[in-house]
Amino acid sequence: MKSAVRLPDVGRFRPLTALALALTLVAGGFAAWAGQDWYRAAHDDRAAYAAERDAALSAGEQAVQNLNTLDHRELKRGLDLWASSTTGELHEQLAAGRDEFATQVKEARTVSTARVLSGAVTELDDRAGRARVLVALRVTVEAADGAKTDKDSRMLGELTRTDGRWKLSALGQAPVGGTSTG
Amino acid sequence: MSTTRHHINRQRRRQARETRPAAPAAPAAGLERTRGATAVLEPTKTADIAATADAPTVGDERKPTRVRPRRRPPVLVLLCALTVLLGGFAGWAHAEAEGLRSEPARSNTALTDLARTSEIKGQVTKAVDRLFSYDHADPGALDKAAKELLTGKAVGQHRELLADVRERADAQKAVLTTTVTESAVERIDGDRARVLVYADQSSVATRGDKSGTKEAAGDGNAAQDEGVYAAAMLAVDVVRRDGRWLVSALDTFGR
Repeated sequence: MKSAVRLPDVGRFRPLTALALALTLVAGGFAAWAGQDWYRAAHDDRAAYAAERDAALSAGEQAVQNLNTLDHRELKRGLDLWASSTTGELHEQLAAGRDEFATQVKEARTVSTARVLSGAVTELDDRAGRARVLVALRVTVEAADGAKTDKDSRMLGELTRTDGRWKLSALGQAPVGGTSTG
Repeated sequence: MSTTRHHINRQRRRQARETRPAAPAAPAAGLERTRGATAVLEPTKTADIAATADAPTVGDERKPTRVRPRRRPPVLVLLCALTVLLGGFAGWAHAEAEGLRSEPARSNTALTDLARTSEIKGQVTKAVDRLFSYDHADPGALDKAAKELLTGKAVGQHRELLADVRERADAQKAVLTTTVTESAVERIDGDRARVLVYADQSSVATRGDKSGTKEAAGDGNAAQDEGVYAAAMLAVDVVRRDGRWLVSALDTFGR
């Protein structure tokens, strides 16, 4: 009776512990591999570059859209948005011409709305914080009499990263036939 | 006190009965469950050891059961817990890594894969130049370009876009030339890519029935635009086949 009880006991003790230990080691191996894999995925240079590219593009598209949107009834808000979407030379140009432009739009009583059709980054220097984007834009201008006209624009924008945010530093239309129209 | 002891003893006996025949043949999962149950009872048992010493009827059976809970469960339970923890971490870390990798920003290799980006830009530029240029004297060139460069629904789209242009060019004996001025790769996803293209189109009529000798055509159906040059923009979807990028769709943004 004694041995019948004890022998299986002793016999069971080691294989079980060994099995549990083996399982633990296997789980540990998986954990180490998965952890390392996760670390690599999180510290991938290409991924950081891709994220910067997408950040520049979405900021660029938004800024180009902002700069082609203006409602004569909400001039201050619109022009403030222009100012916050731009930096550098473009920002200074817009600030200098702001009052004159506001008067013009007030007189014309136009409402411009822009829609981004498509956009892409052509160049990106994520260290220097500079990027160049192409933005295909459709601008709808509503005149004082309510007549609407659509115009497609082929925009070329230059972005500069300031304080971690991408802002437009230059904007123009792609020249047609070697001469600029914008 | 005595009722508790009786109760514990009864339980212990029952457990011993259960474990003994089942254990040697039982699979690992079954054993773990039994072990877990003993582990829970352990504190009461160890506290009761001195008190139960005067119950000789169950003494023989009690000894192994007493040894088992004291030595086995902590190690096994620890190992099991560790296995579960490590396994859980492995699964979680794997899911996190996969989640990071499947982010849209990462799956898009435009610009991150510079070689492929410039390869696509180059081939699309050449393709658009050829697909949107037409010489009335050599109509076969456009058909050849269409056959070589188009695939899928782009075949029909291209035919539709150029039908009108072709007709007019034939009537005016015109030469339509398209030149890509700017292009940028929007996204590359493996063997698929989308490119945004700006192009200039110029048309020279050798025997026009209109006022001038020159007429420009916008992209495809915007052929009524007058002027020397016309601005065009379009998005081109391409797929990689046998090492070459073929145009699979043309998007002129509803124009």
